[in-house]
Amino acid sequence: MNAAPGTLLQVSDAHIAYGKVEAVRGVSLEVAENEIVTIIGANGAGKTTLLNAIMGVLPVSGRVSFASQDMTRLEIEDRVAAGLSLVPEHRELFGAMGVEDNLRLGAFRIAKTVAATSLERVYTLFPRLKERRRQLAATLSGGEQQMLAMGRALMGAPKLLMLDEPSLGLAPIIVADIFRTIGELRQSGVSVLLVEQNAQAALQIADRAYVMELGEFILNGPAKEVAADPRVAASYLGFA
Amino acid sequence: MGPRLPIIGFAAAMAAIPFIPGMPPFWIVLLDNIGLAALVAMGLVLLTGVGGLTSFGQAAFCGFGAYTTAVLTTAYGFSPWLTLPLALLVSGLAAVALGLVTVRLSGHYLPLGTLAWGLGLFYLFSKLEFLGRNDGISGIPPLAIGSFRMIDPAAIYFAIWTAVLLCAVLTINLLDSRTGRAIRALRRGHVAAEAFGVRTPRAKLLVFIYAAVLAGLSGWLYAHFQRAANPTPFGAQAGIEYLFIAVVGGAGYVWGSVLGAAIVVILKEILQSYLPYLFHGEGQLETIVFGILLVALLQLAPTGVWPWLTARMPLKPNRGRPDASPALPPRTRTPAASDVLLQIDRARKQFGGVIAVNDVSFDIQAREIVALIGPNGAGKSTTFNLITGVLRTNGGTISVLGMKIDNAAPQEVAKLGIARTFQHVKLVPDMTVLENVAIGAHLRGKAGALASMFRLDRADEAKLLAEAARQIARVGLSGQIDALAGGLSLGQQRIVEIARALCVDPLLLLLDEPAAGLRHLEKQQLANLLRELRGGGMSVLLVEHDMGFVMDLADRIVVLDFGTKIAEGTPQAIKTNPDVIRAYLGAAA
Repeated sequence: MNAAPGTLLQVSDAHIAYGKVEAVRGVSLEVAENEIVTIIGANGAGKTTLLNAIMGVLPVSGRVSFASQDMTRLEIEDRVAAGLSLVPEHRELFGAMGVEDNLRLGAFRIAKTVAATSLERVYTLFPRLKERRRQLAATLSGGEQQMLAMGRALMGAPKLLMLDEPSLGLAPIIVADIFRTIGELRQSGVSVLLVEQNAQAALQIADRAYVMELGEFILNGPAKEVAADPRVAASYLGFA
Repeated sequence: MGPRLPIIGFAAAMAAIPFIPGMPPFWIVLLDNIGLAALVAMGLVLLTGVGGLTSFGQAAFCGFGAYTTAVLTTAYGFSPWLTLPLALLVSGLAAVALGLVTVRLSGHYLPLGTLAWGLGLFYLFSKLEFLGRNDGISGIPPLAIGSFRMIDPAAIYFAIWTAVLLCAVLTINLLDSRTGRAIRALRRGHVAAEAFGVRTPRAKLLVFIYAAVLAGLSGWLYAHFQRAANPTPFGAQAGIEYLFIAVVGGAGYVWGSVLGAAIVVILKEILQSYLPYLFHGEGQLETIVFGILLVALLQLAPTGVWPWLTARMPLKPNRGRPDASPALPPRTRTPAASDVLLQIDRARKQFGGVIAVNDVSFDIQAREIVALIGPNGAGKSTTFNLITGVLRTNGGTISVLGMKIDNAAPQEVAKLGIARTFQHVKLVPDMTVLENVAIGAHLRGKAGALASMFRLDRADEAKLLAEAARQIARVGLSGQIDALAGGLSLGQQRIVEIARALCVDPLLLLLDEPAAGLRHLEKQQLANLLRELRGGGMSVLLVEHDMGFVMDLADRIVVLDFGTKIAEGTPQAIKTNPDVIRAYLGAAA
């Protein structure tokens, strides 16, 4: 199973269990450089679990390699340094800290000079954050919090950004904003692995898609083909 | 029955121990001490492990029990048995007095508060003339049944362990009941518990008293075991040790207290007897080694030894299905004067200088689904919290069926038939789906703590669980009924919250982003369920960002922006309203 040239993330035969319950059963997945890949699937299918395992939050059996480097034994902070970053479902901001302090923490493993350019880049991407740089994270609105969580993850200059339900609980106008930003990220050379319930928006923006059910991938391929599959159309998109 | 068998086996084994030929009396003394410590730690399991109220002061309640019987039997010639209820009563009353002050404290202040009165009571015991100051009271008569006097440690052994086993069964019964679920929700879900009518200050005081009475019982036994009482065993040092026992055994587990007591008492004894030989009597070394061993033990089993052990046993919990036959009576619906179910009139909420809800008015009719939409931070969830009494208004009125309810407690709002879900899921993660949902039916049951302890609540309990199971089936989660709520995906947890709210048998259901995290098919099922509920006479107010879902489902939409109502109308009218498009929908809609 040698990675094709340009493969950034490769997961092979991943099994992830909570105690005796196996939540993810032998899935394999690849993300190439400059690619947006989405995982869609029902509730409890194991999508969040898979992202957490790739990040190293959960133990996984199987192989996870990133930029041709074996990640399996690496601690979370070393995976971050290698260029992997996760924006978790609950955002997990440091609520009692200011916006800019939250961002600077995202560059904890990065040289100061690089961090300064990262900060400028994040502020260009999310001008709202610059306006609110001194405000406490906990006092931001939901949309701004999602921007901050994404901005914080981007501070470490990741090669691959993993997003877990970025549109959850956000107003339509903000959701459009978030998806536009995801598109912009690819142009600046960041790959994106996107877990999203808004299957329609996710399939529109992604290059490739995986459909997960009960801990297994039942379908994968170019996003357009996946969107055209009758099973996906009926249960995720709402037109048969 | 299944769950009872191991307990009966354990009781039989404990009863047989004193009859083992050649059993050294010293071991029996050790077992007596284990039993006494286990009783106090059992109270702490309920108070700290389950209820989340950390107490360093439990030893003081042993003191109340011990001194009560010491004074009454020596100075007034009471029979020891007669002093038992009095000892429990005195410990309980002391707990009421201390508890009323203590349970108001939160965060770090609560354990510090218990430490403070733990220290204070020790000095009180050692300064009072009638308690014998530092010397205490000696010459306490032994327990006796007829002419059988329990002087021998092997005799009082039976009294001690009968008490331990009895209390363990009563405690387990209590936790597995309506009151028990309220107690288990205290630590991690008290806001939700209040929204379903649980009076949390009362529940906190209840566990506080319960733990104190168990400690008082231990103290009473201790006094008749030692035949003396002095302040030392009731000080803060002992209080810390009891908490330690509960943590080592597994603070969330009733049998953890017994196991923890055994580990700590035996370990201390072994170290005290053997270490001096090894190190030629260097003083205090055992305390250091004891500390190191316990730290090592907690590294191995961070949640305590009991759960560590049970996870390694093949036994699976045998969960009975609730009996489906008995039903709870539905809410009596008084014919209303008007069709207006909920009326919000110029409601206002300010946080410092920020106006979160700015004189917002709208109504909800009977059998109507109303959606509240608006940008993040527009005041939607705050409006929910004003309606349900979680927050107090700064102005305006909120009425249900013409009756003013603004600033009523969440428990009172629940009684009126308003049930809600939360934007950030508030379930008790280590309780099953069934147990979480049953909290929703809290107000429809009536069995109290005492009835639960003696299993007199079973008829009431069966109805509550059957109702919970019915609502779980209704939302389509029957397959997960026994799963721990914390193990479900976020979308499923939101559905569990809806089932819990339905258990109230509500007139009005408030749903905060119910469709978030659901895929299209699940959203359709949810929409169908809500239509069906409306058909059955229920009204729904929902906050939701999925416009496809909202436009399809809602009869009427209210739009908030920066705390102010900017539009209200049918989905068709809202979709084309330029203000709404600018503030919220964007060009996409």
